[in-house]
Amino acid sequence: MKRYDCMTALGARLKDELVILSLGGSVDEWYNAAPHMRAASLFQQQLGCVTPQAFGLAAGLPHRRIVSLDTDGGLLFNLGILATLGNEQPKNLFVVVWDNERYQSIGGPPTHTAFGRVDLAAIARGAGVEHAYTARTVEEFDAHCEAGLKADAPYIIVAKVDGILQPGIKRKHSDGREDKYIFVRHVETTEGIIIMGPSEHN
Amino acid sequence: MKQSAVDAVIRGLKKAGVSIVCYLPDSLFKELYPALDADPDIRTIRVTNEGEGAAICGGVFLSGQRAALVMENSGLRASVEPLARMGLGAGIPVVMLMSYRGELGENNWWAIPHGITMEPVLDALRIPYRIVREEEAIERAIVDAYAWSYASYYHSAIALGGEVVR
Repeated sequence: MKRYDCMTALGARLKDELVILSLGGSVDEWYNAAPHMRAASLFQQQLGCVTPQAFGLAAGLPHRRIVSLDTDGGLLFNLGILATLGNEQPKNLFVVVWDNERYQSIGGPPTHTAFGRVDLAAIARGAGVEHAYTARTVEEFDAHCEAGLKADAPYIIVAKVDGILQPGIKRKHSDGREDKYIFVRHVETTEGIIIMGPSEHN
Repeated sequence: MKQSAVDAVIRGLKKAGVSIVCYLPDSLFKELYPALDADPDIRTIRVTNEGEGAAICGGVFLSGQRAALVMENSGLRASVEPLARMGLGAGIPVVMLMSYRGELGENNWWAIPHGITMEPVLDALRIPYRIVREEEAIERAIVDAYAWSYASYYHSAIALGGEVVR
């Protein structure tokens, strides 16, 4: 299963959601697979932070659907977030774990999911996230997206994808600081709130 | 902590606009955590380690609500990775309220590393901080930390030590 095909399927289902995104090859793929979601996506590139940040966003905006696009390496870096989600049961958080069984951004050495023993969906269920599944086909993945995006409980889909980057895609130029401003301004506009407001004096 | 110090912390958090607190409990703040849990204006989120709590606080910042990370100062060491990436990489601030374990007067051997490492770790991350040992300074210190972090979009920290926590 190709991650880019999954992203295309997921992107087609998104409109008003907010997305927190992991590091590595998935950054440029998501930038191209869901161009209408660029301003609504925070490209953070922070190992272990993605799903916790998405949960924080979900806690702060409980009326809004939040999507976390995490990775096997990123989730393994902080498995504790699964227990926190299990206890907190956010109703508006949908988590995708792109599990390509490797640290792709540094050339592809294996993660712990590469050896057939470690099952991230089973770990999530054991941590109290009842809706945690593994998808191996785009059709399976898309069906879980449909269910997960309207669930009223945390929903995790571990997408078993190959490690082949989509060829010929446009690179994202902005850095984490610019991405944050774009994302925050999008949240401000769509929520009608001020997050980073003017200083006291000019 | 005395009840009056607990009240001062909660007054400061509310004055600063905090609505969500992430915490990993410790012994010096043991009276504070149940008070936060019981407060109807504050949502508490218990985390498995302080780095996770820092990242959740970063997400709360992006929502427009205000969060605090409450912990023992040992939690600062567990938070360094997400703090460095969020703060220096993206300008996403986290305000921390820590108990000062390991300062002079500490009589637990295991807490000595917390005292020795706290200020150098804060300095390494270029995080401004205030150590508060007087109850009447708590509220102002918390409000000041939020004012600074929401002007700089960088982390700040308040460490409560001395008679405030003992």
